[in-house]
Amino acid sequence: MADPILSLTDVTLTLKGNAGAVEILHGISLDVNQGETLGLIGPSGSGKSSLLMLMGGLERATGGKVLALGQDLTAMNEDALARFRRNHMGVVFQSFHLIPTMTALENVATPLELAGAPDAFDRAEDELRAVGLGTRIDHYPSQMSGGEQQRVALARAAAPRPDILLADEPTGNLDGANGEAIMELLFGLRDKHGSTLVLVTHAPELAARCDRVVRLSDGRVEAQAKAAE
Amino acid sequence: MNMRVAARIARRELRGGLRGFRVFLACLALGVAAIAAVGSVRVSIEDGLKANGAVILGGDAQVTFTYRFAEPAERAWMNGIADQVSEVVDFRSMAVVERAEATERALTQVKGVDDLYPLYGSVMLAPDLPIAQALAGDQAVMARVLADRLGLSVGDQFKLGVKAFTLSAILERAPDDAGGGFSLGPPTIVRTDALDGAGLIEPGTLFDTHYRMILPANADLVALEAEAKDKFSDTGMRWRDSRNAAPGMTRFVERIGAFLVLVGLAGLAVGGVGVSAAVRAYLDGKTAVIATLKTLGAEGRTIFTAYLMQVGALAGLGIVIGLAIGALAPLILGPVIEAQLPVPADFAFHAGPLAEAALYGVLTALLFTLWPLARTGEVRAAALFRDAAGPERAMPGATVLIAIVALAVALIGAAAVLSGVPKLALSAAGGIIGALFLLVLAARAVRWLARRGARAKAVRGHTALRLALGAVGGPGGEATSVVLSLGLGLSVLAAVGQIDANLKSAIAEELPSVAPSYFVVDIQPDQLPGYLDRVENDPGVSKVQVAPMLRGVITQINGKPAAEVAGPHWVLRGDRGVTYSATPPEDTVITEGEWWPEDYAGPPVMSFADEEAREMGLKLGDDVTVNILGREVTAKITSFRVVDFSTAGIGFVLSMNPAALRGAPHSAISTIYADEAAEAALLRDLASAYPNITAIRVRDAIDRVSEVLTGLAAAITYGAMATLVTGLFVLIGAAAAGERARVFEAAVLKTIGAVRGQVLTYFALRSAILGAAAGVVAVLTGAIAGWAVMTFVMEGTYRFEPMSALFIISGGIFATLIAGLAFALRPLGNRPAQVLRARE
Repeated sequence: MADPILSLTDVTLTLKGNAGAVEILHGISLDVNQGETLGLIGPSGSGKSSLLMLMGGLERATGGKVLALGQDLTAMNEDALARFRRNHMGVVFQSFHLIPTMTALENVATPLELAGAPDAFDRAEDELRAVGLGTRIDHYPSQMSGGEQQRVALARAAAPRPDILLADEPTGNLDGANGEAIMELLFGLRDKHGSTLVLVTHAPELAARCDRVVRLSDGRVEAQAKAAE
Repeated sequence: MNMRVAARIARRELRGGLRGFRVFLACLALGVAAIAAVGSVRVSIEDGLKANGAVILGGDAQVTFTYRFAEPAERAWMNGIADQVSEVVDFRSMAVVERAEATERALTQVKGVDDLYPLYGSVMLAPDLPIAQALAGDQAVMARVLADRLGLSVGDQFKLGVKAFTLSAILERAPDDAGGGFSLGPPTIVRTDALDGAGLIEPGTLFDTHYRMILPANADLVALEAEAKDKFSDTGMRWRDSRNAAPGMTRFVERIGAFLVLVGLAGLAVGGVGVSAAVRAYLDGKTAVIATLKTLGAEGRTIFTAYLMQVGALAGLGIVIGLAIGALAPLILGPVIEAQLPVPADFAFHAGPLAEAALYGVLTALLFTLWPLARTGEVRAAALFRDAAGPERAMPGATVLIAIVALAVALIGAAAVLSGVPKLALSAAGGIIGALFLLVLAARAVRWLARRGARAKAVRGHTALRLALGAVGGPGGEATSVVLSLGLGLSVLAAVGQIDANLKSAIAEELPSVAPSYFVVDIQPDQLPGYLDRVENDPGVSKVQVAPMLRGVITQINGKPAAEVAGPHWVLRGDRGVTYSATPPEDTVITEGEWWPEDYAGPPVMSFADEEAREMGLKLGDDVTVNILGREVTAKITSFRVVDFSTAGIGFVLSMNPAALRGAPHSAISTIYADEAAEAALLRDLASAYPNITAIRVRDAIDRVSEVLTGLAAAITYGAMATLVTGLFVLIGAAAAGERARVFEAAVLKTIGAVRGQVLTYFALRSAILGAAAGVVAVLTGAIAGWAVMTFVMEGTYRFEPMSALFIISGGIFATLIAGLAFALRPLGNRPAQVLRARE
């Protein structure tokens, strides 16, 4: 069997706040295989988003190891992590997180430019057309609806053809119809590019579309199951 | 609308503290403080001049004659009204030190005094001697700068004219220093009777005599002045008293004070931009509160009033802080400032300038906050559901616009009335409004260009540059407030820089190329042939001009007092040079009328300087009465001619036919245009042959004028720096307000693969583009202001000064880079997850 694309070993995360240290994750060990679609579910505050952030190197684990494509993210500095994401990862957030001073096209082209793609803007335009925003490429985020902004965010994440797509409740801020459309696009992009997808969600129907579902509770893996089970 | 509800809302909102209002307070406090401090210093100096009028003047009252001593009748009148009368003779001469190796000469303003000098105050000497002892026999005291120039120490000898004097002490300070105004030579004091035999005070020599008086305690200065004018106006007697002891200094203080207040107003305008930006940012953060209040049924006017009350309370606090600083700074710095002044100052708490500064503060705060406050009406509950930057702001309603215009008119009107220089105030206000307008246009142009630039194919691949251009051109950017605030501050500095550099270049570079090498005065008629023989036969001399010279006071125009007809024109201020000539001198350009025939022997006629005549409202055929040596000469104007003072050549406003002045003792004035190499030998020969004459080296005079200009420019630069500091506060405010957005951008950029160096380069480029834009626009507006001042005020030519411009642009880039990068550290240091999760 091939090596897992993501491998977490005994990962802990403690965050320091005004009220003192809070333990978010308690010794999580988890593998994600190449091409797999993994759903992370669990109640609010169970640590789903934090786990996703650790997988993306957006947060640094307090203990344990996070390997992505065989490389130890916990040993990398901020810049090395950024370079790793640039080459291998795409992230989609619940609140879109587009840069408000950039047009849709510029938002999508930026990661391609950072990766040194000579045809960044052409590819970005193609990507926007693929998510149905061919006519909105010069619009700023403030001129778009939530659903449109999330499509731009999807295009931005998918444009560099990442090995791993991380999505943190991508439909959480959208109505049913828009959420449905975004999920179609997300799974469509994943199928098209063959990326590994890790998805944080509260929605059972979304979890049901994943190859495997991991349920977190109080910072621990409570259960794992094939989606069909 | 319920005012009480609005007040309650305002009070509850203010409980949140002053967060976000530090820049608001700093901008307003600094602007008010600068104006209050300048006004306080100005009033302190004016009060000092008033309180010490008698000391500065040298007596309770003084009468002055030109070319002569008082006649017995005049002296008797003075003795009749005064308890004591002291006589001072004042003239320019050369102090000469003869040594075996070389002879040193330097221009000096000689003051011949009697036993009573000084009537008020005391002379400070080093060593500390009584003045009577220091001047006993043929001894003299002189200013340190002159003694140093001549290499003299106490006990050494030097010559005035043909007589030797011993330097008994260094003159540190004379009580009447400030009354005389600008002089080219540092002072030397001797006893008048010691000047006998020096060959300096001869008929026709240029000298003034001042009779200073101690008057009885109950003397009525107004009545005495009227009596002097009534009895002696036809003798050329000029009266001055302690009510206005140093008119030149008073005028100077008034002008420079008014100018600095106007610069302060520019600072307040910059601060206004910061105030406006702070209120805008504050209200942006209050969108949800406003939307909620509206949902709960609050009327737009209630919300507007509630926020107006908050801003009013904070503005009041800012103004009070500014007034406290403005009142205290002159008190604390008083001794330092006084040490730099040639006059005493009375540093105390002055309510007038503080009230003026408070008025400017209130009007500015209202003017710059109404527009952003009007936006509270635009907020809809739906705004709660739109993230980050919103659309461009619409114009406020008619009521607010009318109020803004009314406030602007009130502010400009107050500046025009209170500064005492309405024309200058209105020009400055026009300049500030013009600059603001230009800067707004420039900010829009910069955003448009940046937007275009960000989309240009050429910048694709240069991610940091494209991001920076996109951020500058994109919505919600800080381009407008940075370009406005920093741009206006830099504009003032650029204008000062351009004017200063132009004036210096005109005086120090262009003038010497057209000016004569020497101005020679007091050439006696019998010395002229020998003088001309030496000068004209020198191969190094290219041109010599000679003209007879007398001095006279214009007393009447068409039989009426001159000041009544022509107002306070400078030609009427004190005595003026008068010359005569049978034929028009070489290069004379007659603009109107005709020169008199060469053999003309009729009633006196005169040719008047064209420009000055027009300013004074004179026309051909007018009778002008001039008092020369106590004799009134009334001459009819028969021609106007061009007199160009800009080349430092011989230029007389008044020229008469020779017969009109025949018999009046006089000397001649001459200009010598010579190679620099020939100058030293010429001076040596002329001074040796004619010890009584005074040769003023024009280069030295130009240096002295340059020194004065440098001091003036420094004072104005300090004022402009206050404006710039306010601009920097606004800049820091903008950077601080943008920090949250930068934190977010850095987190997103890192998430999609940007390393910290790229993020930092992006932030730096973004700051530098804004700084460069502000600098370029400032140079443009500064150049326009410089051109206007040089062309219309100085009547000179304007040349763009690239060094000053380069300094301004570099300064703009440096300032924005420092402010921008200081607030980039936190965004760079944060981990993306912390930032992005907080916004989920």
